[in-house]
Amino acid sequence: MEALLAAIITGLLLGMVYGLAAVGLNLIFGVLKIINLSHGAFIALGMFGAYYLFQYFGLIPFVSVIPVFVVILIIGILLYFIAIRRVMGRQELSTLLITYSISLIIVGLGTFFFTTNPRSIDIPWESIRIFSVYIPATRIVALFLAIICTFLLYLFLYKTWIGKAVRAVSMNRVAAEYMGVNSHVILATSFGIGIGIAAIAGVVIASIFPFTILSGGVYELKSFVICVLGGLGNPFGAIAGGLILGLVESVLSLKIPVGIVPFIEFILLVLMLLVKPEGIFGRR
Amino acid sequence: MSEILVVENIDSGYKDVQILWDVSLKAEEGKVTVIVGSNGSGKTTLLRTIMGSVRAKSGRIMFDGNDITKWPTYKRAEAGLIYIPEGRQLFPDMTVLENLEMGAYTKRARVKMKENLEYVFTLFPRLKERINQKAGTLSGGEQQMLAVGRGIMGCPRLMLFDEPTLGLSPKLSIEIFGIIDKLKKEKISMILVEQNVYFSLQIADYGYVLSEGRIVKEGKGEELLASEDVKKAYLGV
Ligand SMILES: Nc1ncnc2c1ncn2[C@@H]1O[C@H](COP(=O)(O)OP(=O)(O)OP(=O)(O)O)[C@@H](O)[C@H]1O
Ligand SMILES: [Mg+2]
Repeated sequence: MEALLAAIITGLLLGMVYGLAAVGLNLIFGVLKIINLSHGAFIALGMFGAYYLFQYFGLIPFVSVIPVFVVILIIGILLYFIAIRRVMGRQELSTLLITYSISLIIVGLGTFFFTTNPRSIDIPWESIRIFSVYIPATRIVALFLAIICTFLLYLFLYKTWIGKAVRAVSMNRVAAEYMGVNSHVILATSFGIGIGIAAIAGVVIASIFPFTILSGGVYELKSFVICVLGGLGNPFGAIAGGLILGLVESVLSLKIPVGIVPFIEFILLVLMLLVKPEGIFGRR
Repeated sequence: MSEILVVENIDSGYKDVQILWDVSLKAEEGKVTVIVGSNGSGKTTLLRTIMGSVRAKSGRIMFDGNDITKWPTYKRAEAGLIYIPEGRQLFPDMTVLENLEMGAYTKRARVKMKENLEYVFTLFPRLKERINQKAGTLSGGEQQMLAVGRGIMGCPRLMLFDEPTLGLSPKLSIEIFGIIDKLKKEKISMILVEQNVYFSLQIADYGYVLSEGRIVKEGKGEELLASEDVKKAYLGV
């Protein structure tokens, strides 16, 4: 009973963080209509950003999200204008190839500079008691951080001019141009925010689990599963998808060897595609 | 009389199909200019070329004294060229209010958003009742009202209407024409593309007939209405 309660709480905490990672992927898909295969690489960059900011400046991950986000946002905007802009509106293969090459470059350079030795960030915080189980404080803070980021994204998309333009472009790019929206700027900003959120998720994950430059791939796969669960193109469906995946994962790992969990996630993905391909909250 | 828009010898089309051939026309400030033509004659392509969402292959477009031929679409909108597209092109998952706000996206329009919003709601009280409804769930007529309202929100210097009564009941069409007439009385410059040739030429100060991508006839509204070719081709008499 105790173990189950702990698994459920952990599942919800992790699910929220996975959901946040997926929100970034989903935003990019919804606005640019491309599948970003460099998502995992930016999650990994976020992890290393958190690691070095902690090592050299003593910034805890919950502070370093801000500089990491800003830097990755700027990188994203530049990448859009340098590379992605050229393949917008072309067939899917070109956009997949270009985002995959970005991923290869980052992971390749990362392997060279950081090696693939596992790192971790050790924050000496106590555990907190919830009901009858103890949860590490870092995980609780991670949860709040994920909630705050999601809420800020909501405010941005629904309450600001640029955010509304992002939604307008995602629904009808040509009509948005007719309204006076410079759609390239909006697409660039959306890409920057999407990978910036991926990096924030990376920072948060790094405060909980050990990681290497290759770890992003695991969370990228989870993000795909979550997007399919929550509905592609709907950023906030991803949060629900994340919570479901987190719960499934942590409850299952009570009974099943951890190594099999990704396999089960993959089955979940295939089942969902067969039964309800538009996702739980998606629309056709 | 000053000309707000001058289109000179435009060739335009899609990829390798040319649709418009050597099209020239003018729109005068404060006047209604009508373009009529049968289905597929290139009216929508002409308006898209004026907006820049379809690129002119050759020729020149002058707006308000500026050569805008190479300008991107959003910049033309910023300058006050406002297009109310065929098929409405609303933002379906946004509410009525958000669609109207998007209409006022440009800097010029943003500062006047409050008063324009009030004006749109006096023109279309039905939109006010549905302010928080998603645009995609409005009826066809309400969607057309929203498309026109969204255009008004943009503080147009010149409004381009692309078949605003397409698919509407006669009653609703009359309502939309009433609005256009009202805008005409307020001296808003307009280019109107319409399938309803009789009504649109009545409201027109000047008109052009487009056929297979070429301007084949032009003249004052009442002249065109009286001309034998137009009567034969479009009015079925
Ligand atoms: N995106 C496109 N790609 C290729 N050809 C197009 C495209 N849009 C329109 N056309 C073609 O261009 C020609 C002119 O079309 P256009 O829509 O400008 O006509 P229209 O006068 O507006 O007709 P309607 O009264 O039916 O709206 C048509 O033959 C059409 O098939
Ligand atoms: Mg048309």
